[in-house]
Amino acid sequence: MNHRGMMKLQTKLALFNLLSKLVFSALFIGFLPLIIERINVRQTDNELVNKREEVISLISEVGIEPFILSDSASGFGSYNILKEEYISLERAETVDEWNYIDVTQRIIDNETIDYRVLHYSLKIDGEYYLLEIGMSLASIRYSARNIRNVMLVFLGLFIIVTLLSDLTYTARILRPLRIITGRLGETSSPSFDVAEPLVTSTEDFVQLDRTLREMMKKISELFRKEKEITVNISHELMTPVSVLRSKLENMLLHEDLDPEVEAGLEESLRTLHRLKTLVNSMLMIARIESSQYMKDETVDLCELVREVTAELAPVAEDGGVTMIVKCEKSHTITGSNRSLLFSMIYNVVNNSVKNTAEGGRIDITGRDAGGRFEVSVCDTGKGMTPEQLDRLFTRFSNRPDPAGNSIGIGLAITKSIADFHNIAVRVLSEPGKGTQFFFFFPVNSL
Amino acid sequence: MNVLIVEDEKSLAGEIALFLKRENFICEMAHTGTEASEKIAVNLYDFVLLDLGLPDYNGLDLIREAKEINADVSFIIITARGAVEDRVKGLDLGADDYLPKPFALAELHARIMAVARRKFRIQSPDITLGGFTIKTSARKLLHGNTEVEITRKEFDLLYYMVINSSKVLTRHQLYEHIWGNTLDDQYDSNFIDVHIKNIRKKLNLHGPAPWLETVRGVGYRISTEGQ
Repeated sequence: MNHRGMMKLQTKLALFNLLSKLVFSALFIGFLPLIIERINVRQTDNELVNKREEVISLISEVGIEPFILSDSASGFGSYNILKEEYISLERAETVDEWNYIDVTQRIIDNETIDYRVLHYSLKIDGEYYLLEIGMSLASIRYSARNIRNVMLVFLGLFIIVTLLSDLTYTARILRPLRIITGRLGETSSPSFDVAEPLVTSTEDFVQLDRTLREMMKKISELFRKEKEITVNISHELMTPVSVLRSKLENMLLHEDLDPEVEAGLEESLRTLHRLKTLVNSMLMIARIESSQYMKDETVDLCELVREVTAELAPVAEDGGVTMIVKCEKSHTITGSNRSLLFSMIYNVVNNSVKNTAEGGRIDITGRDAGGRFEVSVCDTGKGMTPEQLDRLFTRFSNRPDPAGNSIGIGLAITKSIADFHNIAVRVLSEPGKGTQFFFFFPVNSL
Repeated sequence: MNVLIVEDEKSLAGEIALFLKRENFICEMAHTGTEASEKIAVNLYDFVLLDLGLPDYNGLDLIREAKEINADVSFIIITARGAVEDRVKGLDLGADDYLPKPFALAELHARIMAVARRKFRIQSPDITLGGFTIKTSARKLLHGNTEVEITRKEFDLLYYMVINSSKVLTRHQLYEHIWGNTLDDQYDSNFIDVHIKNIRKKLNLHGPAPWLETVRGVGYRISTEGQ
């Protein structure tokens, strides 16, 4: 069953994992350039300081002269070919002491380049000089981009691989849950065995399984008890009824009985029959409600409808009621109990026949109605008031029969059979106009 | 035919025996499973009417036991337990029929006759009623040499009355025979009257059928007097 907005636990876990990894990766990728830049800047600064020391030691070896001509105003300047680094040394105009590193833009060959530049002032032979060593930031940024790209590919792969492994693993550890769910489905049948304990290393599932198995044991026990009760009630009540019935029937066979005595015996038999019917009907409902009936037959609904109407045709005809059956398309349902379904439809059609006056009409129709199969019984009979309609399926509350034939439990039986088969029932009725009875057979059993 | 009635309810066993003796059966009774088991071991019965709810014996075990001694014995289970699977189990074990209590004695009689026909291939003789003949094995009703068109249900009704002829049958008994117990709550005395009315109509097209009698206030009877 997949309801809208519902998701499997496995999917939920996998989605959560995926999301958390994506968030983490995005943060990582976002902050990566900053981190790389900081590291790079620190490393560049160290290198600049090292280079300064090299230059200073060079100057102290060979003197300042090879770099600065004493009469020249211009200083020394050198770039390497790719303009990644440069060094300049020139006379300082001020006597300030400089020793700092900053970022400076230089325009070289019409190209603006950001440099990390170390400024340092030297005092040699009373003269002040300014030393600048620069390293291009472009190369630093370039390498940062490279690292980020590699990281992106790596993280992408990481996410895909872990997603797959998450899915496989959760499917594996959630297997017991699927088994448990499957077992629970079996409890709807009249007799089920409580399954063996589940083998799993997940403690939660062991616990769940234990609780559920205990519950199933209780349900199974309840089913058994209910069955025992119906069997006992049946035995205790039917045995004396049976004795009485046989006695009365034997009496009725005596020859030369007074007609009055004969009629009296018949009346007693009729009363006894009512008692028997009452008990049987109650037991039948109890048995249906405790799922003691098998549901293992495949039934052709149109065939069933025709069978019901054939049974009732002579009575309808005798009463001057026209029955019209329309159910051409054969339609079968599986997992059902044929004789119960027969009773279900029979009760309703019989009710219509009883409550429709001479000249009336009963339409029994079987048809596809929006994917599900619908059997309707519509009569032009007495109809019912809304109050009667409300109590229609309540035991012993229907249309008391003056002749003492009906005990008013037929439609209660119909309803419990319908519920037992997941058949929806709808009734429309209007006093004086008639009653419409609808059975909607579930789609899943089509 | 020899019948053993295995029923712990003594008065019920007595009534069944009384009825069957009147129909010329030879009846014996057993009120416990042990007694039944002993009787089955020493006597040859054609029929055992078995109540499954014996206090000292599982009735289904008794069937198994009896079938080992005499495979030909026929069992009709009579039970008040009404459990759905009892019927299936009983028939699986080789019982020939199953009757839930309370049953009509006339129904029991009809069932015994049906099993006898099926099992012992007893050819019931054709039955003559006035100008009509019931061809039992062909399940046909003739008037002279002309077939009378009646429905299967109508034939069943007629035949049920013939088997129990000269006994009055109530509408309930007739209804029960045709529609069984499942549709009990839908009983309508009118049903049987309609069917009898239709049978009479069809018979009268061919000839008079005074043998199909209405017993006022009780039911119907086929009279064999003067046949």
